[in-house]
Amino acid sequence: MNIEQIVFYFLSAVVLVSALLVVAMKNLVRSIFLFFLTLFSMAGLFVFALADFVAITQVVVYVGGVLVLMIFAFLLSNRDILNNPDAVKINGKFLTAHHLPGLVVSFLFFTALMFAFSQFQVDELEWIAASEGNTLSPSDNTIELLGINIMTRYLLPFETISVLLMLALIGAAHLARKERKI
Amino acid sequence: MNPYFTYILIAVALFSFTAIFALFAVYAERKVSAFIQDRLGPMETGVYGSLQTLADILKMLQKELIVPAAADKVLFVVAPVIIFVSVYMGFASLPWGPGLIPASLNLGVFYVFAIISVESVGILMAGWGSNNKYSLLGALRSVAQVVSYEIPAGIAIISAVMISQSLDLQVIATKQGILSTEGAKFLGLWDVSGVGGFLAWNVFQAPHLLLAYVIYFIASLAECNRAPFDIPEAESELVSGFHTEYTGIRFALIFLGEYSMMFLVGMFGVLLFLGGWNTPLPNIGSFTLADWTTGTGWGVFWIVAKVLLVVFVQMWLRWTLPRLRVDQLMNLCWKVLTPLAFLCMLISGVWQLLVM
Repeated sequence: MNIEQIVFYFLSAVVLVSALLVVAMKNLVRSIFLFFLTLFSMAGLFVFALADFVAITQVVVYVGGVLVLMIFAFLLSNRDILNNPDAVKINGKFLTAHHLPGLVVSFLFFTALMFAFSQFQVDELEWIAASEGNTLSPSDNTIELLGINIMTRYLLPFETISVLLMLALIGAAHLARKERKI
Repeated sequence: MNPYFTYILIAVALFSFTAIFALFAVYAERKVSAFIQDRLGPMETGVYGSLQTLADILKMLQKELIVPAAADKVLFVVAPVIIFVSVYMGFASLPWGPGLIPASLNLGVFYVFAIISVESVGILMAGWGSNNKYSLLGALRSVAQVVSYEIPAGIAIISAVMISQSLDLQVIATKQGILSTEGAKFLGLWDVSGVGGFLAWNVFQAPHLLLAYVIYFIASLAECNRAPFDIPEAESELVSGFHTEYTGIRFALIFLGEYSMMFLVGMFGVLLFLGGWNTPLPNIGSFTLADWTTGTGWGVFWIVAKVLLVVFVQMWLRWTLPRLRVDQLMNLCWKVLTPLAFLCMLISGVWQLLVM
Protein backbone atom coordinates (compact mmCIF):
# COMPACT_ATOMS: atom_id res chain seq x y z
CA MET A 1 0.00 0.00 0.00
CA ASN A 2 1.56 3.28 -1.04
CA ILE A 3 1.15 6.58 0.68
CA GLU A 4 -1.54 7.86 -1.73
CA GLN A 5 -3.77 4.93 -0.84
CA ILE A 6 -3.19 5.45 2.87
CA VAL A 7 -4.13 9.13 2.58
CA PHE A 8 -7.16 8.28 0.43
CA TYR A 9 -8.52 5.71 2.91
CA PHE A 10 -7.81 8.02 5.80
CA LEU A 11 -9.74 10.88 4.14
CA SER A 12 -12.64 8.59 3.23
CA ALA A 13 -12.80 7.29 6.80
CA VAL A 14 -12.83 10.86 8.13
CA VAL A 15 -15.62 11.82 5.72
CA LEU A 16 -17.78 8.83 6.66
CA VAL A 17 -17.26 8.98 10.42
CA SER A 18 -17.68 12.74 10.67
CA ALA A 19 -20.79 12.68 8.43
CA LEU A 20 -22.36 10.03 10.64
CA LEU A 21 -21.48 12.02 13.74
CA VAL A 22 -22.96 15.19 12.22
CA VAL A 23 -26.30 13.42 11.99
CA ALA A 24 -26.12 11.58 15.30
CA MET A 25 -24.76 14.30 17.54
CA LYS A 26 -27.09 15.98 20.03
CA ASN A 27 -25.09 19.17 20.33
CA LEU A 28 -26.13 21.07 17.22
CA VAL A 29 -23.32 23.60 17.20
CA ARG A 30 -20.66 20.95 17.50
CA SER A 31 -22.27 18.96 14.73
CA ILE A 32 -22.13 22.02 12.47
CA PHE A 33 -18.43 22.42 13.21
CA LEU A 34 -17.95 18.71 12.51
CA PHE A 35 -19.62 19.32 9.15
CA PHE A 36 -16.63 21.56 8.44
CA LEU A 37 -14.41 18.50 8.83
CA THR A 38 -16.62 16.49 6.48
CA LEU A 39 -16.55 19.17 3.78
CA PHE A 40 -12.83 19.71 4.11
CA SER A 41 -12.02 16.00 3.77
CA MET A 42 -14.40 15.88 0.80
CA ALA A 43 -12.24 18.57 -0.78
CA GLY A 44 -9.25 16.31 -0.16
CA LEU A 45 -11.01 13.45 -1.96
CA PHE A 46 -11.71 15.75 -4.91
CA VAL A 47 -7.99 16.47 -5.11
CA PHE A 48 -7.40 12.73 -5.39
CA ALA A 49 -9.84 12.63 -8.31
CA LEU A 50 -7.61 15.28 -9.99
CA ALA A 51 -10.49 17.75 -9.74
CA ASP A 52 -8.48 20.42 -7.98
CA PHE A 53 -10.74 23.23 -9.16
CA VAL A 54 -13.78 21.49 -7.68
CA ALA A 55 -11.86 20.89 -4.46
CA ILE A 56 -10.97 24.55 -4.02
CA THR A 57 -14.47 25.67 -5.02
CA GLN A 58 -15.80 23.31 -2.36
CA VAL A 59 -13.67 25.10 0.22
CA VAL A 60 -14.69 28.59 -0.99
CA VAL A 61 -18.41 27.94 -1.38
CA TYR A 62 -19.18 25.48 1.37
CA VAL A 63 -16.62 26.27 4.06
CA GLY A 64 -16.31 30.00 3.45
CA GLY A 65 -19.94 30.63 2.53
CA VAL A 66 -22.62 28.06 3.34
CA LEU A 67 -21.10 26.77 6.56
CA VAL A 68 -20.45 30.25 7.92
CA LEU A 69 -24.06 31.21 7.15
CA MET A 70 -25.34 28.09 8.92
CA ILE A 71 -23.23 28.85 11.97
CA PHE A 72 -24.52 32.43 11.89
CA ALA A 73 -28.10 31.18 11.93
CA PHE A 74 -27.30 29.00 14.93
CA LEU A 75 -25.43 31.65 16.83
CA LEU A 76 -28.29 34.11 16.45
CA SER A 77 -30.93 31.65 17.68
CA ASN A 78 -31.87 30.67 21.22
CA ARG A 79 -29.02 29.11 23.14
CA ASP A 80 -31.23 27.03 25.44
CA ILE A 81 -32.77 25.17 22.53
CA LEU A 82 -29.32 24.52 21.12
CA ASN A 83 -27.90 23.18 24.34
CA ASN A 84 -30.69 20.77 25.25
CA PRO A 85 -32.75 19.88 22.21
CA ASP A 86 -34.71 17.42 24.40
CA ALA A 87 -36.41 20.37 26.05
CA VAL A 88 -38.43 20.83 22.89
CA LYS A 89 -40.07 17.43 23.15
CA ILE A 90 -41.96 16.24 20.11
CA ASN A 91 -42.27 12.60 20.96
CA GLY A 92 -39.61 10.32 22.31
CA LYS A 93 -40.66 7.16 20.51
CA PHE A 94 -39.25 6.18 17.13
CA LEU A 95 -42.34 4.70 15.48
CA THR A 96 -45.11 7.23 15.83
CA ALA A 97 -47.61 8.85 13.51
CA HIS A 98 -45.59 12.04 13.82
CA HIS A 99 -42.55 10.40 12.28
CA LEU A 100 -44.47 8.52 9.63
CA PRO A 101 -43.92 10.87 6.63
CA GLY A 102 -40.21 11.09 7.33
CA LEU A 103 -39.93 7.33 7.66
CA VAL A 104 -41.80 6.72 4.40
CA VAL A 105 -39.71 9.22 2.47
CA SER A 106 -36.40 7.92 3.79
CA PHE A 107 -37.46 4.31 3.15
CA LEU A 108 -38.47 5.11 -0.44
CA PHE A 109 -35.25 6.98 -1.05
CA PHE A 110 -33.25 4.10 0.39
CA THR A 111 -35.10 1.60 -1.84
CA ALA A 112 -34.47 3.74 -4.90
CA LEU A 113 -30.79 3.99 -4.07
CA MET A 114 -30.49 0.24 -3.45
CA PHE A 115 -32.29 -0.49 -6.72
CA ALA A 116 -29.99 1.82 -8.65
CA PHE A 117 -26.98 0.27 -6.96
CA SER A 118 -28.06 -3.29 -7.83
CA GLN A 119 -28.72 -2.35 -11.47
CA PHE A 120 -25.51 -0.41 -11.87
CA GLN A 121 -22.70 -2.07 -13.78
CA VAL A 122 -19.69 0.13 -14.19
CA ASP A 123 -17.99 -1.79 -17.00
CA GLU A 124 -20.96 -1.78 -19.35
CA LEU A 125 -21.59 1.95 -19.34
CA GLU A 126 -20.92 3.31 -22.79
CA TRP A 127 -19.29 6.58 -21.91
CA ILE A 128 -16.94 4.92 -19.45
CA ALA A 129 -15.89 2.32 -22.00
CA ALA A 130 -15.41 5.06 -24.59
CA SER A 131 -13.26 7.17 -22.32
CA GLU A 132 -10.59 4.53 -21.83
CA GLY A 133 -7.17 6.01 -22.42
CA ASN A 134 -8.62 9.48 -22.02
CA THR A 135 -6.91 10.19 -18.73
CA LEU A 136 -5.55 13.20 -16.90
CA SER A 137 -2.17 13.49 -15.27
CA PRO A 138 -1.75 15.51 -12.05
CA SER A 139 0.33 18.18 -13.80
CA ASP A 140 -2.33 18.89 -16.46
CA ASN A 141 -3.79 22.37 -16.49
CA THR A 142 -7.46 21.50 -16.09
CA ILE A 143 -8.57 25.06 -15.47
CA GLU A 144 -8.07 26.07 -19.11
CA LEU A 145 -10.21 23.18 -20.35
CA LEU A 146 -12.84 24.04 -17.77
CA GLY A 147 -12.94 27.68 -18.76
CA ILE A 148 -13.19 26.95 -22.47
CA ASN A 149 -15.92 24.35 -21.94
CA ILE A 150 -17.95 26.62 -19.68
CA MET A 151 -17.81 29.48 -22.15
CA THR A 152 -18.64 27.34 -25.21
CA ARG A 153 -20.37 24.02 -24.68
CA TYR A 154 -22.02 24.73 -21.35
CA LEU A 155 -22.69 28.43 -21.84
CA LEU A 156 -26.49 28.20 -21.52
CA PRO A 157 -26.53 26.34 -18.17
CA PHE A 158 -23.81 28.67 -16.91
CA GLU A 159 -25.78 31.80 -17.82
CA THR A 160 -29.01 30.32 -16.44
CA ILE A 161 -27.30 29.75 -13.11
CA SER A 162 -26.03 33.34 -13.08
CA VAL A 163 -29.59 34.61 -13.67
CA LEU A 164 -30.84 32.41 -10.84
CA LEU A 165 -28.18 33.77 -8.49
CA MET A 166 -29.04 37.31 -9.54
CA LEU A 167 -32.69 36.62 -8.71
CA ALA A 168 -31.71 35.30 -5.28
CA LEU A 169 -29.59 38.40 -4.69
CA ILE A 170 -32.40 40.77 -5.65
CA GLY A 171 -34.85 38.80 -3.53
CA ALA A 172 -32.57 38.96 -0.51
CA ALA A 173 -32.05 42.69 -0.95
CA HIS A 174 -35.81 43.18 -1.23
CA LEU A 175 -36.51 41.18 1.93
CA ALA A 176 -33.87 43.03 3.91
CA ARG A 177 -34.99 46.48 2.74
CA LYS A 178 -36.77 48.87 5.05
CA GLU A 179 -40.47 49.26 4.36
CA ARG A 180 -41.08 52.62 2.81
CA LYS A 181 -43.75 54.72 4.50
CA ILE A 182 -46.57 55.65 2.17
CA MET B 1 17.22 12.50 -0.65
CA ASN B 2 13.82 11.10 0.22
CA PRO B 3 11.15 13.50 -1.18
CA TYR B 4 9.03 13.19 1.98
CA PHE B 5 11.98 14.43 4.00
CA THR B 6 12.13 17.52 1.73
CA TYR B 7 8.40 18.14 2.16
CA ILE B 8 8.70 18.06 5.93
CA LEU B 9 11.80 20.24 5.84
CA ILE B 10 9.97 22.88 3.77
CA ALA B 11 6.97 22.80 6.10
CA VAL B 12 9.21 23.24 9.14
CA ALA B 13 11.12 26.05 7.42
CA LEU B 14 7.89 27.90 6.63
CA PHE B 15 6.64 27.43 10.17
CA SER B 16 9.84 28.76 11.70
CA PHE B 17 9.75 31.66 9.29
CA THR B 18 6.22 32.63 10.39
CA ALA B 19 7.18 32.29 14.06
CA ILE B 20 10.30 34.43 13.69
CA PHE B 21 8.42 36.94 11.57
CA ALA B 22 5.69 37.23 14.23
CA LEU B 23 8.33 37.89 16.92
CA PHE B 24 10.00 40.51 14.76
CA ALA B 25 6.69 42.07 13.71
CA VAL B 26 5.40 42.48 17.26
CA TYR B 27 8.62 44.28 18.17
CA ALA B 28 8.38 46.41 15.03
CA GLU B 29 4.75 47.19 15.71
CA ARG B 30 5.56 48.43 19.21
CA LYS B 31 8.46 50.52 17.96
CA VAL B 32 6.43 51.98 15.07
CA SER B 33 3.52 52.83 17.36
CA ALA B 34 5.95 54.37 19.83
CA PHE B 35 7.53 56.49 17.11
CA ILE B 36 4.14 57.66 15.84
CA GLN B 37 2.95 58.53 19.35
CA ASP B 38 6.27 60.17 20.24
CA ARG B 39 7.25 57.57 22.85
CA LEU B 40 10.24 55.27 23.14
CA GLY B 41 8.54 51.88 23.20
CA PRO B 42 10.24 48.88 24.81
CA MET B 43 13.74 49.89 25.97
CA GLU B 44 14.62 47.72 28.97
CA THR B 45 15.26 44.18 27.66
CA GLY B 46 18.27 43.95 25.37
CA VAL B 47 19.64 46.76 23.23
CA TYR B 48 16.76 49.16 22.46
CA GLY B 49 14.37 46.53 23.82
CA SER B 50 15.17 44.09 21.04
CA LEU B 51 14.74 41.04 23.31
CA GLN B 52 11.38 42.25 24.64
CA THR B 53 9.18 40.03 22.43
CA LEU B 54 11.41 37.03 23.09
CA ALA B 55 10.89 37.56 26.81
CA ASP B 56 7.15 37.99 26.20
CA ILE B 57 6.86 34.72 24.33
CA LEU B 58 8.87 32.88 26.99
CA LYS B 59 6.49 34.22 29.61
CA MET B 60 3.51 33.26 27.50
CA LEU B 61 4.68 29.69 27.01
CA GLN B 62 4.94 29.19 30.77
CA LYS B 63 1.47 30.48 31.54
CA GLU B 64 -1.30 28.23 32.74
CA LEU B 65 -3.79 27.13 30.13
CA ILE B 66 -7.18 28.15 31.46
CA VAL B 67 -10.39 26.74 30.02
CA PRO B 68 -13.42 28.64 31.35
CA ALA B 69 -15.82 26.39 33.27
CA ALA B 70 -18.79 27.24 31.05
CA ALA B 71 -16.88 26.95 27.75
CA ASP B 72 -17.46 24.30 25.13
CA LYS B 73 -14.14 22.61 25.81
CA VAL B 74 -13.53 20.87 22.50
CA LEU B 75 -14.31 23.90 20.35
CA PHE B 76 -12.38 26.19 22.69
CA VAL B 77 -9.22 24.08 22.43
CA VAL B 78 -9.42 23.40 18.68
CA ALA B 79 -10.19 26.97 17.55
CA PRO B 80 -6.67 28.53 17.85
CA VAL B 81 -5.19 25.59 15.96
CA ILE B 82 -7.65 26.07 13.07
CA ILE B 83 -7.01 29.81 12.99
CA PHE B 84 -3.27 29.34 12.75
CA VAL B 85 -3.22 26.31 10.44
CA SER B 86 -5.55 27.95 7.91
CA VAL B 87 -3.21 30.92 7.60
CA TYR B 88 -0.11 28.72 7.57
CA MET B 89 -1.53 26.53 4.77
CA GLY B 90 -1.82 29.63 2.59
CA PHE B 91 1.98 29.88 2.45
CA ALA B 92 2.13 26.53 0.63
CA SER B 93 1.60 27.97 -2.85
CA LEU B 94 3.36 31.34 -2.66
CA PRO B 95 6.57 31.59 -4.72
CA TRP B 96 9.67 33.10 -3.08
CA GLY B 97 11.90 33.39 -6.12
CA PRO B 98 12.44 32.11 -9.66
CA GLY B 99 11.97 28.34 -9.37
CA LEU B 100 11.51 28.56 -5.61
CA ILE B 101 7.96 27.62 -4.63
CA PRO B 102 6.83 25.14 -1.96
CA ALA B 103 3.93 23.70 -4.00
CA SER B 104 3.54 24.75 -7.61
CA LEU B 105 -0.22 24.73 -8.18
CA ASN B 106 -1.78 25.92 -11.40
CA LEU B 107 -4.64 27.24 -9.26
CA GLY B 108 -2.41 29.06 -6.77
CA VAL B 109 -4.40 32.31 -6.63
CA PHE B 110 -7.70 30.54 -6.09
CA TYR B 111 -6.16 28.25 -3.45
CA VAL B 112 -4.80 31.11 -1.35
CA PHE B 113 -8.11 32.95 -1.62
CA ALA B 114 -9.99 29.83 -0.48
CA ILE B 115 -7.74 28.97 2.39
CA ILE B 116 -7.90 32.49 3.84
CA SER B 117 -11.67 32.14 4.15
CA VAL B 118 -11.27 29.08 6.38
CA GLU B 119 -9.94 31.31 9.13
CA SER B 120 -13.43 32.71 9.74
CA VAL B 121 -14.64 29.25 10.81
CA GLY B 122 -11.87 29.18 13.43
CA ILE B 123 -12.86 32.62 14.65
CA LEU B 124 -16.51 31.61 14.97
CA MET B 125 -15.42 28.49 16.81
CA ALA B 126 -13.38 30.55 19.26
CA GLY B 127 -16.22 33.00 19.80
CA TRP B 128 -18.83 30.35 20.42
CA GLY B 129 -16.55 28.03 22.39
CA SER B 130 -15.58 30.75 24.88
CA ASN B 131 -19.23 31.08 25.97
CA ASN B 132 -18.78 34.77 26.61
CA LYS B 133 -20.98 37.46 25.12
CA TYR B 134 -18.06 39.71 24.20
CA SER B 135 -16.29 36.85 22.44
CA LEU B 136 -19.44 35.90 20.57
CA LEU B 137 -20.10 39.48 19.48
CA GLY B 138 -16.49 39.87 18.41
CA ALA B 139 -16.62 36.66 16.38
CA LEU B 140 -19.89 37.68 14.70
CA ARG B 141 -18.51 41.09 13.78
CA SER B 142 -15.28 39.59 12.57
CA VAL B 143 -16.93 37.06 10.32
CA ALA B 144 -19.48 39.52 8.93
CA GLN B 145 -16.58 41.80 8.03
CA VAL B 146 -14.38 39.07 6.52
CA VAL B 147 -17.21 37.66 4.42
CA SER B 148 -18.18 41.11 3.10
CA TYR B 149 -14.67 42.23 2.25
CA GLU B 150 -13.90 39.00 0.42
CA ILE B 151 -16.03 40.31 -2.45
CA PRO B 152 -14.08 43.50 -3.37
CA ALA B 153 -10.82 41.66 -2.65
CA GLY B 154 -11.81 38.79 -4.90
CA ILE B 155 -12.86 41.04 -7.76
CA ALA B 156 -9.69 43.13 -7.48
CA ILE B 157 -7.68 39.90 -7.63
CA ILE B 158 -9.65 38.78 -10.68
CA SER B 159 -8.83 42.02 -12.50
CA ALA B 160 -5.12 41.34 -11.95
CA VAL B 161 -5.51 37.73 -13.03
CA MET B 162 -7.24 38.87 -16.22
CA ILE B 163 -4.17 40.93 -17.11
CA SER B 164 -1.78 38.08 -16.29
CA GLN B 165 -3.92 35.38 -17.94
CA SER B 166 -2.97 32.74 -15.38
CA LEU B 167 -3.93 31.49 -11.93
CA ASP B 168 -0.45 30.12 -11.26
CA LEU B 169 1.31 32.53 -8.90
CA GLN B 170 4.72 31.57 -10.25
CA VAL B 171 3.64 32.39 -13.82
CA ILE B 172 2.08 35.67 -12.67
CA ALA B 173 5.31 36.64 -10.94
CA THR B 174 7.48 35.64 -13.89
CA LYS B 175 5.42 37.74 -16.30
CA GLN B 176 6.28 40.91 -14.42
CA GLY B 177 10.01 41.05 -15.06
CA ILE B 178 12.89 40.38 -17.39
CA LEU B 179 12.37 36.60 -17.21
CA SER B 180 9.04 36.99 -19.00
CA THR B 181 8.92 35.13 -22.32
CA GLU B 182 5.79 36.79 -23.67
CA GLY B 183 6.92 40.37 -23.27
CA ALA B 184 5.63 42.98 -20.86
CA LYS B 185 4.36 46.37 -21.91
CA PHE B 186 4.70 49.49 -19.81
CA LEU B 187 1.24 51.16 -19.86
CA GLY B 188 0.40 48.83 -22.73
CA LEU B 189 2.58 50.83 -25.12
CA TRP B 190 6.28 50.32 -24.61
CA ASP B 191 7.70 46.80 -24.57
CA VAL B 192 9.87 46.64 -21.47
CA SER B 193 10.57 42.91 -21.29
CA GLY B 194 14.25 43.67 -21.86
CA VAL B 195 14.32 46.57 -19.41
CA GLY B 196 12.43 44.99 -16.52
CA GLY B 197 12.50 46.66 -13.16
CA PHE B 198 9.46 48.36 -11.73
CA LEU B 199 8.30 49.28 -15.25
CA ALA B 200 7.20 45.71 -15.88
CA TRP B 201 5.16 45.31 -12.68
CA ASN B 202 1.46 44.64 -13.11
CA VAL B 203 0.47 48.01 -11.62
CA PHE B 204 2.56 49.76 -14.28
CA GLN B 205 1.66 47.41 -17.11
CA ALA B 206 -1.98 48.35 -16.66
CA PRO B 207 -2.37 51.50 -14.55
CA HIS B 208 -5.95 50.77 -13.41
CA LEU B 209 -4.47 47.93 -11.36
CA LEU B 210 -3.09 50.62 -9.06
CA LEU B 211 -6.69 51.27 -8.05
CA ALA B 212 -7.30 47.52 -7.84
CA TYR B 213 -4.30 47.20 -5.55
CA VAL B 214 -5.59 49.92 -3.24
CA ILE B 215 -8.96 48.14 -3.09
CA TYR B 216 -7.23 44.84 -2.39
CA PHE B 217 -5.04 46.44 0.28
CA ILE B 218 -8.01 47.98 2.12
CA ALA B 219 -9.96 44.71 1.94
CA SER B 220 -6.94 42.77 3.14
CA LEU B 221 -6.70 45.02 6.19
CA ALA B 222 -10.29 44.10 6.97
CA GLU B 223 -9.58 40.41 6.47
CA CYS B 224 -6.71 40.58 8.96
CA ASN B 225 -9.04 42.34 11.43
CA ARG B 226 -6.54 45.15 11.72
CA ALA B 227 -7.22 48.79 12.46
CA PRO B 228 -8.99 50.79 11.07
CA PHE B 229 -11.15 47.67 10.69
CA ASP B 230 -10.58 46.21 14.15
CA ILE B 231 -14.18 46.29 15.39
CA PRO B 232 -13.96 42.55 16.21
CA GLU B 233 -11.35 43.38 18.84
CA ALA B 234 -12.48 46.91 19.68
CA GLU B 235 -10.81 47.15 23.09
CA SER B 236 -13.09 49.89 24.30
CA GLU B 237 -16.27 47.93 23.56
CA LEU B 238 -15.53 44.21 23.57
CA VAL B 239 -12.46 43.79 25.85
CA SER B 240 -10.54 42.04 23.08
CA GLY B 241 -13.18 40.31 21.04
CA PHE B 242 -13.06 36.64 20.19
CA HIS B 243 -9.80 35.94 21.99
CA THR B 244 -10.78 37.42 25.35
CA GLU B 245 -10.73 34.07 27.15
CA TYR B 246 -7.51 32.68 25.73
CA THR B 247 -4.29 32.38 27.73
CA GLY B 248 -0.77 31.10 27.31
CA ILE B 249 0.19 29.22 24.21
CA ARG B 250 -3.33 29.29 22.76
CA PHE B 251 -3.31 33.07 22.83
CA ALA B 252 0.16 32.93 21.28
CA LEU B 253 -1.21 30.79 18.43
CA ILE B 254 -3.99 33.30 17.70
CA PHE B 255 -1.46 36.10 17.72
CA LEU B 256 0.87 34.12 15.47
CA GLY B 257 -2.05 33.58 13.11
CA GLU B 258 -2.82 37.28 13.01
CA TYR B 259 0.74 38.34 12.21
CA SER B 260 1.27 35.54 9.69
CA MET B 261 -1.96 36.67 8.04
CA MET B 262 -0.50 40.18 7.70
CA PHE B 263 2.51 38.73 5.92
CA LEU B 264 0.40 36.36 3.82
CA VAL B 265 -2.01 38.99 2.47
CA GLY B 266 0.89 41.39 1.93
CA MET B 267 2.84 38.78 -0.02
CA PHE B 268 -0.23 37.81 -2.04
CA GLY B 269 -0.77 41.45 -3.03
CA VAL B 270 2.91 41.91 -3.87
CA LEU B 271 2.86 38.82 -6.09
CA LEU B 272 -0.26 39.86 -7.96
CA PHE B 273 0.34 43.58 -8.33
CA LEU B 274 3.82 44.70 -7.31
CA GLY B 275 6.01 42.43 -9.36
CA GLY B 276 6.45 39.52 -6.93
CA TRP B 277 10.11 38.57 -6.59
CA ASN B 278 11.17 40.80 -9.48
CA THR B 279 13.69 43.53 -8.89
CA PRO B 280 12.52 47.17 -8.91
CA LEU B 281 15.74 48.26 -10.67
CA PRO B 282 15.50 48.53 -14.48
CA ASN B 283 18.20 47.95 -17.07
CA ILE B 284 19.59 51.34 -18.13
CA GLY B 285 21.82 51.11 -21.17
CA SER B 286 24.93 49.18 -20.20
CA PHE B 287 24.02 49.30 -16.52
CA THR B 288 22.01 46.07 -16.58
CA LEU B 289 20.82 46.49 -13.00
CA ALA B 290 17.84 44.17 -13.55
CA ASP B 291 20.05 41.38 -14.88
CA TRP B 292 22.47 41.77 -11.97
CA THR B 293 19.76 41.69 -9.33
CA THR B 294 17.68 38.76 -10.59
CA GLY B 295 18.19 35.27 -9.22
CA THR B 296 16.94 32.94 -6.54
CA GLY B 297 18.70 34.69 -3.66
CA TRP B 298 17.79 38.13 -4.96
CA GLY B 299 14.21 36.95 -5.48
CA VAL B 300 13.85 36.04 -1.82
CA PHE B 301 15.45 39.33 -0.84
CA TRP B 302 13.18 41.46 -3.04
CA ILE B 303 9.96 39.76 -2.07
CA VAL B 304 10.73 39.89 1.65
CA ALA B 305 11.74 43.55 1.34
CA LYS B 306 8.54 44.45 -0.52
CA VAL B 307 6.30 42.54 1.86
CA LEU B 308 7.98 44.11 4.90
CA LEU B 309 7.31 47.51 3.36
CA VAL B 310 3.64 46.59 2.94
CA VAL B 311 3.50 45.31 6.52
CA PHE B 312 5.02 48.59 7.65
CA VAL B 313 2.25 50.49 5.85
CA GLN B 314 -0.31 48.26 7.58
CA MET B 315 1.19 49.20 10.96
CA TRP B 316 1.43 52.85 10.03
CA LEU B 317 -2.29 52.91 9.13
CA ARG B 318 -3.19 51.09 12.34
CA TRP B 319 -1.61 53.74 14.51
CA THR B 320 -2.81 56.79 12.60
CA LEU B 321 -6.42 56.07 11.63
CA PRO B 322 -9.41 55.85 13.99
CA ARG B 323 -11.65 52.78 13.98
CA LEU B 324 -14.62 52.65 11.58
CA ARG B 325 -18.13 52.10 12.90
CA VAL B 326 -20.00 48.99 11.73
CA ASP B 327 -22.30 50.89 9.35
CA GLN B 328 -19.41 52.93 7.93
CA LEU B 329 -17.53 49.69 7.44
CA MET B 330 -20.35 48.13 5.43
CA ASN B 331 -20.97 51.34 3.49
CA LEU B 332 -17.33 51.46 2.47
CA CYS B 333 -17.37 47.84 1.41
CA TRP B 334 -20.61 47.68 -0.54
CA LYS B 335 -21.05 51.21 -1.85
CA VAL B 336 -17.46 52.24 -2.59
CA LEU B 337 -15.07 49.31 -2.89
CA THR B 338 -17.32 46.78 -4.63
CA PRO B 339 -18.45 49.08 -7.50
CA LEU B 340 -14.88 50.32 -7.97
CA ALA B 341 -13.63 46.74 -8.07
CA PHE B 342 -16.23 45.91 -10.71
CA LEU B 343 -15.05 48.93 -12.68
CA CYS B 344 -11.46 47.63 -12.47
CA MET B 345 -12.60 44.24 -13.73
CA LEU B 346 -14.39 45.88 -16.65
CA ILE B 347 -11.33 47.95 -17.55
CA SER B 348 -9.20 44.81 -17.35
CA GLY B 349 -11.41 43.09 -19.87
CA VAL B 350 -11.35 46.05 -22.27
CA TRP B 351 -7.60 46.42 -21.75
CA GLN B 352 -7.03 42.78 -22.53
CA LEU B 353 -9.03 43.07 -25.76
CA LEU B 354 -7.86 46.44 -27.04
CA VAL B 355 -4.41 47.18 -25.66
CA MET B 356 -2.58 43.91 -25.10
